[in-house]
Amino acid sequence: MAHPIAPNSWHRNREGLGIWEGRGKVVATGVGTSPTARRWDERPETSLGALTIIAIRKAIEDAGISPDEIDGIVLTPESTTGVSNDPMSPAPEGFDQVFKMVDFPQAGITRGDIDWILLNMPELKNVEFKMNGPVCMSVALTTAAEAVSRGLTKTCLVVRGWHNLAGRYYVGQGAAALNTSSGPGKYGGIWGMPACATTAMIFEEYCNKYGKSHEMMAPFVVEERRNGLMNPDGFYTQHRPEMITVDDYLSGRWIAKPANIYDNDLPIQAALAVIFTTPELAAHHAQKPVYILNHAQTRPELQGVTPTLAEWEASSDKMGRMLYEGAGIGPEDLSFEQMYDGFTLFHQFHLEGLRFASRGEKRGYALDLYQTDISIEGPNPVSPSGGNSGNGRTRWWHHRDCILQLQGRSPSQIKRKAEYGVSGAHMPNFCDALIWGAGPD
Amino acid sequence: MAFLISFDIDGTLEFGDPPGGITVEMVRRAQELGFLIGSCSDRFPSAQKALWEARDIRVDFVAAKHMLPDIRSRFEAVKYLHIGDRELDQQLAEKAGFEFLWDHEGVAEPWLEWLESHGG
Repeated sequence: MAHPIAPNSWHRNREGLGIWEGRGKVVATGVGTSPTARRWDERPETSLGALTIIAIRKAIEDAGISPDEIDGIVLTPESTTGVSNDPMSPAPEGFDQVFKMVDFPQAGITRGDIDWILLNMPELKNVEFKMNGPVCMSVALTTAAEAVSRGLTKTCLVVRGWHNLAGRYYVGQGAAALNTSSGPGKYGGIWGMPACATTAMIFEEYCNKYGKSHEMMAPFVVEERRNGLMNPDGFYTQHRPEMITVDDYLSGRWIAKPANIYDNDLPIQAALAVIFTTPELAAHHAQKPVYILNHAQTRPELQGVTPTLAEWEASSDKMGRMLYEGAGIGPEDLSFEQMYDGFTLFHQFHLEGLRFASRGEKRGYALDLYQTDISIEGPNPVSPSGGNSGNGRTRWWHHRDCILQLQGRSPSQIKRKAEYGVSGAHMPNFCDALIWGAGPD
Repeated sequence: MAFLISFDIDGTLEFGDPPGGITVEMVRRAQELGFLIGSCSDRFPSAQKALWEARDIRVDFVAAKHMLPDIRSRFEAVKYLHIGDRELDQQLAEKAGFEFLWDHEGVAEPWLEWLESHGG
């Protein structure tokens, strides 16, 4: 069954809306993360669906609640940005011996599916509210925040899993995934360029405009790997506990110059589940509640088929203004910054749009900030989770760590007091983001 | 004059991700027979070094995959060989003047025949 997505009116996508009506009325408590893998080995027990079930059970256990209390679920069905199976491919032999199957044969394999989850988790017997948060965990989080604040669900799972099949991930979306290019991708994605090429092009424009260089990215990439290696749930900690050096980073092969291979995040298999509820109900949860103070959304307003530097800057500036307006805080209140980093070369657009640690500067300062102490021990922690670059591609490590940081239990806990955080994904002009707080205001 | 073999890691060596067919024992045997050996991979160089050290092998070189020309300029050898599992390996190897073998071809250790043909 196709489940609805949030109506456009739920998304805070323009300025002038004032303080968010749901501010302080929604909290996150439990967090569950599955084991990670580089690729799926085609065993049912390591599938996307299996990892999703593991993550959900861990989140419920972490929150210290009964599965009976879950009355809502918001899930991101898309589980890759790369090559996948044909949607109607049958499940591998034996899969249906382990899991109950719904009509859609790739459910639990290459696509997240609410009905499949509920069918295979009989303990979730009171789920009434079901909604998809398409494309990104960020959308699932903002959708669930609205749903709880509107009283549509009281204790809601927010879920996203990722699959990664054997073989090449992609070389140009259209070329590898399908025989023909369709949808919006037919305009910009048919030229066979690597996925990071647009980001590389705009990063180059950025460097030219502000007198910066690719080498200045090195401290950020190194710090992200350091933070990621503190996370026992991260891919690199579990499978490749290797610290990158500045020399390593600078020796990377160009994928689309000036984006090198280490500016690209590594596709993995993993799943995350988070519990959202009301502050009142959270009183009996095992974990400290983390308040959602606002959320906001940007979508591309392009003059052509590819974005420009000016468009990315305008869009991420708007994101910053919308987030602060609805949360009632300012850039100086942020204890840390965790915007998306996959690709590393666009992280600074998000960071500057938020004016994080700007010291009065508006644009072109982030790479200089990277040369200062951006560690978890320092005054301006940048991406303390390590993000995708430090943990593997999920688009949710940074969201997850905002909750853990403000609960005071992150494996890479910042040393300064954690009071307000921000996370969002994915592109600078296609982003859904949240302001998180240790308290309700 | 030596022979030089460069191994890709992921999909080529048994400790790669995914594992390949070339075993540590094959690499060790080549080194004991006098081959210059090392890796050219997309794993970053310090990680490559650590992977070899963990297997108690002192390689002659580690480098990013696109640095094969640099390896060729650093070492004098009769033959240069790169073994990998992707078209990119083949492309970079041939561009750098290396012979190329696919990972599955390397499993037969064809380089051992070089010693016989060169009187080794």
